[in-house]
Amino acid sequence: MRHPQRIGRLTAALLLMATTVAACGGDKDDDPTASAPKAPATIPELTTDPLTLSFIWFEWPPAQALEAFANKEYKKVRPNATIKVNTVPNANWHDAMFTQFAARKTDFDVAILDSQHIGEAVTNGNILDLTDFVKNNIDVNAYNPYLLAAYGQFPQAETGQRDENASLYGLPLLGDTWTMIYRKDLIGDKPPQTWDEMISAAEKCQADNPGVSGLAFHQANGSDAAAVTYNTVNGVYGGNLWDAPNRKIEGVLNDAAGQEAMEVLVNRMKPLTAKGSGNWFIDEVNAAVAQGKACIAFNWIAASGGLLDPKQSTLGTTREQILGKLGFATLPKQKTDLVPLGGMGMHVSAYSPAANQAEALNFMKWFEQADIQKKWAAAGGVPSRTDALASPEFLDAGPFNKVYADSVPRMRDMWNVPEYARLVDIENTNVNAALNGAKSPKAALDDIAKQQQDVLDSSGRKGGGGL
Amino acid sequence: MSDRVSLTTDRPGRAATPKPPAPVRSRRLTDRRLAVAFIAPALLLLLGMSVFPLLWALYLSFTDYSATRGGPANFVGFGNYTAILTSAQVHLRAVTTLVYVVGAVTLQTVLGFTIAYLISRRTRGRGLLTTLFLVPMMLSPVVVGLFWRFMLDAQFGVVNSMLGSLGLGQVEWLTRQRTALISLIVVDTWQWTPFIMLIALAGLTAVPKYLYEAASIDRASEWFRFRTITLPLVWPLLLIAVLFRAIEAFRLFDLVYILTSGGPGVSTETLSFHVYKVAFLGFNTGTASAYGILMVLVVIVLTQLYLRYLNKLKED
Repeated sequence: MRHPQRIGRLTAALLLMATTVAACGGDKDDDPTASAPKAPATIPELTTDPLTLSFIWFEWPPAQALEAFANKEYKKVRPNATIKVNTVPNANWHDAMFTQFAARKTDFDVAILDSQHIGEAVTNGNILDLTDFVKNNIDVNAYNPYLLAAYGQFPQAETGQRDENASLYGLPLLGDTWTMIYRKDLIGDKPPQTWDEMISAAEKCQADNPGVSGLAFHQANGSDAAAVTYNTVNGVYGGNLWDAPNRKIEGVLNDAAGQEAMEVLVNRMKPLTAKGSGNWFIDEVNAAVAQGKACIAFNWIAASGGLLDPKQSTLGTTREQILGKLGFATLPKQKTDLVPLGGMGMHVSAYSPAANQAEALNFMKWFEQADIQKKWAAAGGVPSRTDALASPEFLDAGPFNKVYADSVPRMRDMWNVPEYARLVDIENTNVNAALNGAKSPKAALDDIAKQQQDVLDSSGRKGGGGL
Repeated sequence: MSDRVSLTTDRPGRAATPKPPAPVRSRRLTDRRLAVAFIAPALLLLLGMSVFPLLWALYLSFTDYSATRGGPANFVGFGNYTAILTSAQVHLRAVTTLVYVVGAVTLQTVLGFTIAYLISRRTRGRGLLTTLFLVPMMLSPVVVGLFWRFMLDAQFGVVNSMLGSLGLGQVEWLTRQRTALISLIVVDTWQWTPFIMLIALAGLTAVPKYLYEAASIDRASEWFRFRTITLPLVWPLLLIAVLFRAIEAFRLFDLVYILTSGGPGVSTETLSFHVYKVAFLGFNTGTASAYGILMVLVVIVLTQLYLRYLNKLKED
C-alpha cells in the first residue's frame, strides 16, 4: 500500500525535472554572441493565402491612421493581406515588445520601435538585419541620411550623419519632432525666436491672462516624457548627453551647459506651468492647449492633429477659427538650434513566420516608394523621403508639417544603446523629481550623470545588475 | 461464493431481500490510487504554475541571467542578494513600502472595524448597507486607479473643485512628495476598507448575545462591554484580516503604476514597483528573481511571527 505514495512522489519529481529541462535545454538562442539574423536580400515568394500582417505600436492617432491607410492602399497590390496595428498604452510599449522578444515568440510581425530601442533589439537578436535587403530594394539616396540612420542604423551614427558601412535594421515609418504651439491671439503672430524670448513671452502672457499658464510641456516620469524635455533644453543650451565614443556621461551631461539647462528648466520654465502639471505628458498638454489654458506649449507633431478638431477644442467652432488662435513653429534657438528627434521605424520580428517576414519586407518596400510616401503624408503620416517632405501633399496636409520639414536638419537623438530603457528611466525619474521639488536641479542632474554612468560601466558586473 | 449471500434475515416476519452485487472494480484501482487520480490534475497545475516558477526563480536568483539577452546563466553565488541587501535604492523603496503598509492597513483597520461595529448595531437595512460598502472592493485596481487619477487631478479634478468651492486652495495630490504617498494610502483605503469591514462584521455577528444580556443586567457601560466582550472576541478574526491586507499592501503595484508611476521622482516607488523596473526595463532577470525571493522570505517570516502571536492569543 506504500507503492502509490512512492509512485506519486516519483511522478512529481520527474515532472519537475522534465519541466526544468524543457525550460533550460535545447534553446538555440542561448548563444551569447547571438545577433540579429539577416533578412534575405530579395523578397521571397509571397503567399497567395489570406494573411494578416501584424504591427505593434502604442495607442495614438498615427496608429489608427497607419492601419486605415495600409488596408486601403496596400490591399490594392496585395488583396490577400490584411494589416492589423495592435496598440498598447504608451507606458507599456517597450515592455509589450521586449517581453515577447524575451519569450522568443511574438504575436506581431513588424515591431514599430522607437529609434532608441534599436540597440537593445539588435544585440538580443530580436529583429532582422535588413542591410542586404535595403541595398537591393530601397533607394537610400532618396532620404535625408540622418533620418535613415536614426530609424535603422546600429551602432548609432553621429548626430546628423549616417555611416554607410553600418548595418541597417529598420526603415522609417513616421518622422516626428517637437513643435512649439503658441496662442497667436495672446502673444502675437510672430513666434518667439530664442528660448529667452519664449520664456519672456510666456511670463507676460501668464501675467496678462489670469487662468492661463505661460507654458505647458511634458513632465511625467513615465515613458520618455520628462527626459525628452530636459534633453531638448540641454541641446538648446549647448549641452551634450554623453561622449559616445568613450561611453562617458558623468562630467559631460552635468557640465556647465547641462547645469544651466537644468536651471532654466526648473527655475525659469517650471514656474510658468499650471499647478499640478508635474505628471503631464502628450494628452494633458494637448488638453491644456485645446481648452485655452496655455499660452505656449511643446508637443510631438504627430500627436498634434487633434488640436485642430473643433469637437475637442474650446478655441473655435471651425478649424479656421482654431487656426486663427493657434500657431505652430519650430523650436526657438538659443546657443544652438537643436530639436529632439522623434518618430519610429519598422523592424521585422526575428520570430515571425517566414511567410509573414516575406510579407513584411514586401510591405516595407512598397511603403518606401515615392508615391506611397506622398499618399501616407496626405493621410496624416510624416514621411522621411526628401521628395515626400517637400511635396505639397505633405506640406498642405497640416499647419505643423512645415515645422517638421524645417526641423529635419536640426535634429538630435538620444542614445540607442542596449541599456536605453534604464538610462531613460534614470533621467525621467530625476528630472521629474527636480520639476516637482523632490530634488534640487543640481542634485538631480548629478544623480542622473552618476547613475547613468554606473549603468554603462556595469556591463561586466557579477550580480546585482539593474539596481 | 453463493453461501456468502444471505437469503435469510434475523428479523422474523420480514421477507428476505437479496443484496445487489457490488459493482466490479479493477483490483488495481484501489482507494488510494483513485484519490491520487482525482487530485493529480490540481497537483500538476500547482506544480506547473506555482512550485516550478518558484524553484526556477530561486535558481535564476543565483545567476546573472537576462531573459532578453539570452546566453548562459552564469552562477554568481550570493552576488544578487548582497547587491540588493546593500543597495541604497532598495533601502529607500523598503522605507516607502513600510510607511505605505503601516499607514494604509492602520487606517483600513480603524475605519473597517468602526463601520462594521456601526452596521452590526442596526437591525434594518444591514444587508443593503453591507452590499453598498462592498462595491469598491469588487472593482479592478486599474479602474480604481484611473478614476482616482482623474478625481485627484490638480487642474480638472473633482476633489480640488470641491475644495475650491469651500474656499480652500488647490492641492497637488499626485505630484508632490508628501501628498502623493498620502493619496495612494487614501485610494487603497477607499478600496480595501470593506474587506476589513466584512471580516469584522462576521466576527461581531458571532459574539453570543447572552454575554451582552448578562452585561446589561450588571449595568455595564457601553465602553465596558466593547472593551471586555466585543473587542477580545473579534480581535483574532480582525488580526487575520490585517494579515491578509498587510501582505496585499506589501506587494502593491497596480495603484502606483496608474496613479503616480512611482513619482514624483521615486518617492512613491514601492518594492514591487522597483522589482518590475529591474525585471522589465533592464531585463536583469537574475537580480529581479533574487529581489522577488527576498520579498517572499520577508512575508513568510513576518507571517510566521504573526501566526505564532495569533496562536498564543488563542491559547490564552
